[in-house]
Amino acid sequence: MAENLIKAIDRWGIETPTKIAYDYLGKTNTYAELKAYSDALASYLVELNLPKGAPVIVFGGQTFEMIAAFLGAVKAGHAYIPVDAHSPLERIEVINEIARPAACIAVEELPLELGTLPVVTPAKLAEIFATKATYEASENYVAGDDNFYIIFTSGTTGVPKGVQISHDNLVSFNNWMQTDFGLAKDGICLSQPPYSFDLSVMDLYPTLTAGRQLTVLPKETTDNFKELFAVLPKLHVSEWVSTPSFMDICLLQPTFDAKNLPELTHFFFCGEELTHKTAATLKQRFPEAKIYNTYGPTEATVAVSAVEITAEILEKYPRLPIGQAKADTTIVLIDEEGKPVEQGQSGEILIAGPSVSKGYLNNPEKTAHAFVEFDGRPAYKTGDLGQYDEAGQLLYKGRIDFQIKLHGFRIELEDVDHHLDKVSYVAQATTVPRYGKDHKVSQLIAYVVKDETKAADFESDFKLTQAIKQELLETMMSYMMPQKFIYVDSLPLTANGKIDRKSLMKEVND
Amino acid sequence: MKDTVLDILEDLTGSDEVRNDLDIDIFETGLLDSMGTVQMLLELQAQCGVDVPVSEFERTEWNTPNKIIAKVESMQ
Repeated sequence: MAENLIKAIDRWGIETPTKIAYDYLGKTNTYAELKAYSDALASYLVELNLPKGAPVIVFGGQTFEMIAAFLGAVKAGHAYIPVDAHSPLERIEVINEIARPAACIAVEELPLELGTLPVVTPAKLAEIFATKATYEASENYVAGDDNFYIIFTSGTTGVPKGVQISHDNLVSFNNWMQTDFGLAKDGICLSQPPYSFDLSVMDLYPTLTAGRQLTVLPKETTDNFKELFAVLPKLHVSEWVSTPSFMDICLLQPTFDAKNLPELTHFFFCGEELTHKTAATLKQRFPEAKIYNTYGPTEATVAVSAVEITAEILEKYPRLPIGQAKADTTIVLIDEEGKPVEQGQSGEILIAGPSVSKGYLNNPEKTAHAFVEFDGRPAYKTGDLGQYDEAGQLLYKGRIDFQIKLHGFRIELEDVDHHLDKVSYVAQATTVPRYGKDHKVSQLIAYVVKDETKAADFESDFKLTQAIKQELLETMMSYMMPQKFIYVDSLPLTANGKIDRKSLMKEVND
Repeated sequence: MKDTVLDILEDLTGSDEVRNDLDIDIFETGLLDSMGTVQMLLELQAQCGVDVPVSEFERTEWNTPNKIIAKVESMQ
């Protein structure tokens, strides 16, 4: 599929206008509505004469209006930056400062003002969506190397990095999803991860460009287990996209199986390690279903490698492989000097191919550090360690730095440290992951030296922890919150006088 | 039994407050999130031998150490 992705989605609005595109707990919207809403928003945005090509923030949760706003933005020639409604105010401000967007489309009420930034309020947006404006200016559509979306991830200095994904990056990913996995034409795909997390792209575009249906499982439902299991059988989804952590919740329920959910035929996992235990249990529950472990960083558009978890794979690998690169992409293992390692050796995973991003928005320094050229193709140094086995399967071996995945969320430990250091009651702090037997991070532990004066008034460490958490939530995403706070008189130091995180990691995990 | 439950909670929440205040709301106070809840159910299964039907799991029935202890005792 080489056509423009926007046209590919719009086509369904014309050919199958009454087909359901989006189902939010029974509230449905059609492809005709998706086209009409996004056309109306695009017409409105074009009239605003915003700086050409500048991105726009789209603020909200998991709703139909959000995806209509994404589509409206790209139709008007603007990449969208999805910002989750649960984001702390400071994060929204920082994203605004870095991205220098042309406008903000507030699908939900924006809880702050962003300087002079034009804001389309929820009321205005509803008014725009209600107009019957048609929009034919396909020459404005985001295309080729133009940015399609920009997703912000954790950065080591506490400043998030905006990964720019172009239309053609997304085409490369989407083509792979359409051709390699045998997805049914009339399938229904689960939409569970929030839109600010790029795993959501795995359900959004492969579904919408093929005219299939998205069925949403919002956070409010997944947080309440009783509700979750009451809702799941009613969704009739055929494809599943989630983190392995979310699957672990579902597998707690013995009736989560093929007998009770007979339509489910495909499972896709990404975002963190898929453990053998999770995959084996799932295979037992759904013996006929296809289960895929996929791998990739946001910087290379969601995922670039996959392996089907068959009985043979489960038998052969106690720790599951992350598969083989998609056809248009090369995965090379490199040494510290950037040269490919000898066959069979481990090295840093370098991804080269058409789905590799052009870099971080307005951040040439970090871009130059991680984005390179390999054999004349754009390439990204992931910071992940890998090794190929004799069957050509890529094995994941950990990180070369202090980035971790917790329940699918990517977190730079330095980022958490940075936020902790700014808390008034904290003199010094560092964060350490605790690993489970399955190689996955099970907890984030903060080692904190109190600011003796400011922290003196708390009657217990618990109260102090509550106050620290409160302050952290003003600046930091809640998924980055350490589960455990340990108060110490001092932190161990390395010979160079830096905080010795490695020794604490050893202590926690031995 | 009570001690085992409290050990599990103390380990998962990283706070001895679950021992000091048996009526503290572990969800409201942010001591436990939904992934922590999953770990709690798995630990209760492994260490106390109770199988909690997750489809019946109502947060409001499991939100304090005292309620969790009572639940586990009633299920053994």
